[in-house]
Amino acid sequence: MKKTLLFWSGLLIFLLLSGCTVTTREVGSDEKVIYDEGYHFSDKKAIVDDMVKSLLSRPPLLIATDRPVIIVYGIANRTGEHISTSAITDDLRQALLNTGRVRFINETQRKNIERETSYQYGGNVAAETRIQKARQIGAKYMLTGTLRSIKKDQPRQFRLKKKTLMYYSLNMELTDLQTGLIEWADSTEVIREASKPFIGW
Amino acid sequence: MLISLLQAGFAFVRRPGFRYFILFLLLLCLGGCAGRLNKASARYYAGQPQQALELLEKGDHLGKRNQLLFLLEKGVVYHQLGDYQESIQQLLQAAQLIDQFEMLSVTEQAGSLVTNEWMTRYKGEYSERLWVHSYLMMNYLLLGQYDDALVEAKQALERLEKHPKALQRAYFTRALIALCFANLAEDNDAYLVYRQLADDLPSPVTVAADIVRYADRLGMVDEVEKYRSFLPRNLPAGEAELVLFVANGRIPEKRPGNVVLPPSIRFAFPYYSKRTTPRPRMTILPEKWKSLPPVSSDLGTVARDSLAARKTRIIAKETLRVATKEAIAQSVGNKNDAAAEAIMRVTLFLLEEPDTRSWKTLPGRLTLLRILLPAGHHKLQLKLNFPGIYEQHTIDLPEFEIRQGQRMFRSIRY
Repeated sequence: MKKTLLFWSGLLIFLLLSGCTVTTREVGSDEKVIYDEGYHFSDKKAIVDDMVKSLLSRPPLLIATDRPVIIVYGIANRTGEHISTSAITDDLRQALLNTGRVRFINETQRKNIERETSYQYGGNVAAETRIQKARQIGAKYMLTGTLRSIKKDQPRQFRLKKKTLMYYSLNMELTDLQTGLIEWADSTEVIREASKPFIGW
Repeated sequence: MLISLLQAGFAFVRRPGFRYFILFLLLLCLGGCAGRLNKASARYYAGQPQQALELLEKGDHLGKRNQLLFLLEKGVVYHQLGDYQESIQQLLQAAQLIDQFEMLSVTEQAGSLVTNEWMTRYKGEYSERLWVHSYLMMNYLLLGQYDDALVEAKQALERLEKHPKALQRAYFTRALIALCFANLAEDNDAYLVYRQLADDLPSPVTVAADIVRYADRLGMVDEVEKYRSFLPRNLPAGEAELVLFVANGRIPEKRPGNVVLPPSIRFAFPYYSKRTTPRPRMTILPEKWKSLPPVSSDLGTVARDSLAARKTRIIAKETLRVATKEAIAQSVGNKNDAAAEAIMRVTLFLLEEPDTRSWKTLPGRLTLLRILLPAGHHKLQLKLNFPGIYEQHTIDLPEFEIRQGQRMFRSIRY
């Protein structure tokens, strides 16, 4: 009876301890970590790098000398996943700003700018420190884009793994707001295949 | 030392009494599994959604076998309470869980062979897996997050492509998918969904106006001509559109079905009752505002189609389980006396319970109603008449302001 008790206690402790190990590791921002066929943070980095390079190496930004002002109207998500495309535009804006060759309108903060302006003119702020109204700069270009995806599953057949092919494409355009002409357009792609087992423990 | 310990441990398990005790324990555990879910749906239908939520928040008594159901039920209850954001959180988790269930668990399947399907994690019928996306689409549209609604529309399309026959009559969801495409000016995709819907609906009249509109934009002259003849008389026109998601009734529950063969063989299977939810006639007050022909689905019908599509799998597994249990009973009889075999047979017989778990807070019918209006301020009422019943309901819609070209969404359940 003692042996039985010892056996079951030992087995229970072993099972409890074996499932309790937590491991963590730091992942570098340049490191490519991919778990499945879906969209990953490393894809965002690759997409942004491609687009910044293209924008700066082709007209109109290549030949612009007056640091043109751009407004970003976001990237439409037309994929089958909930992807935060504002993260792409945020990184794109930051990378372009860091080159010092363009300037950006802070479109997302417009309401706050209006609120702050109203406050300054509400009577509490000293007149000489108030910002001047009607001094905002108009954008010359508008940056927009669309992120699309196509997913293809391997057809049904007898197998132990299921393969999925995923295709992402980001198309971006720079439109001259005065003429309405598209002055620059480019696209970048990510194609990935992943396989998942059908059977697990 | 180790070997003698192992022998002592397994000798204990080999005792018939211990095995019966384990089986009895399983029987007890499985019997009380769905209690909290049943209580929650009873509260919900008694008009106490908040109390239903409190029960659902407590989760499962034991393990995570019903985790999906808790998430699904919470998704509908939060939707009903108007907390669309929280409903999204619950249903996104449910959708993620459904994706994980694509992998077959060997241990789970082996365990269910000697007990019943209640041992396995509830994975949702094909129809329920689709309706997760239907509710997510509705939630996102109600919140004005149209890009996200489109993501869900695409995921719903994937589900429809996987089980086209089982989900063919999910007209509401299919019309909702088309609406998500149309809402973001994805005309070609909207046209394709409407066109397939026209083939499957009892009459293409319901979607003829949309097909003509998108076929015209895409330059498909022959399609415009073909579907123009199906356009309803006095087709309404308007500057803006109010879209109502109208839910009524209650989805039929799964019932237990049994076939007993002597001496102790029991085939157990779930089925849905043949009850359908009546389709109400909807009128907008003031009556000068008209709606496009509504698209409506009886959820019970779609649920029955889904279960029927799984019939072969259910029968195959049930046969395997019956064979396994018979082999166990005979083995116990050979190694022990007739009394032990009888006890084992009774236990295994009682353990054979059909899996009647289902998403219970769903309505019996979902209808998509699109009302065409001029831009401006509106105060409307929705009048519902049921066929063969004198009773009628009039629902006051909250007042709203609508701009030219705007599409506004509202969800109603009664």
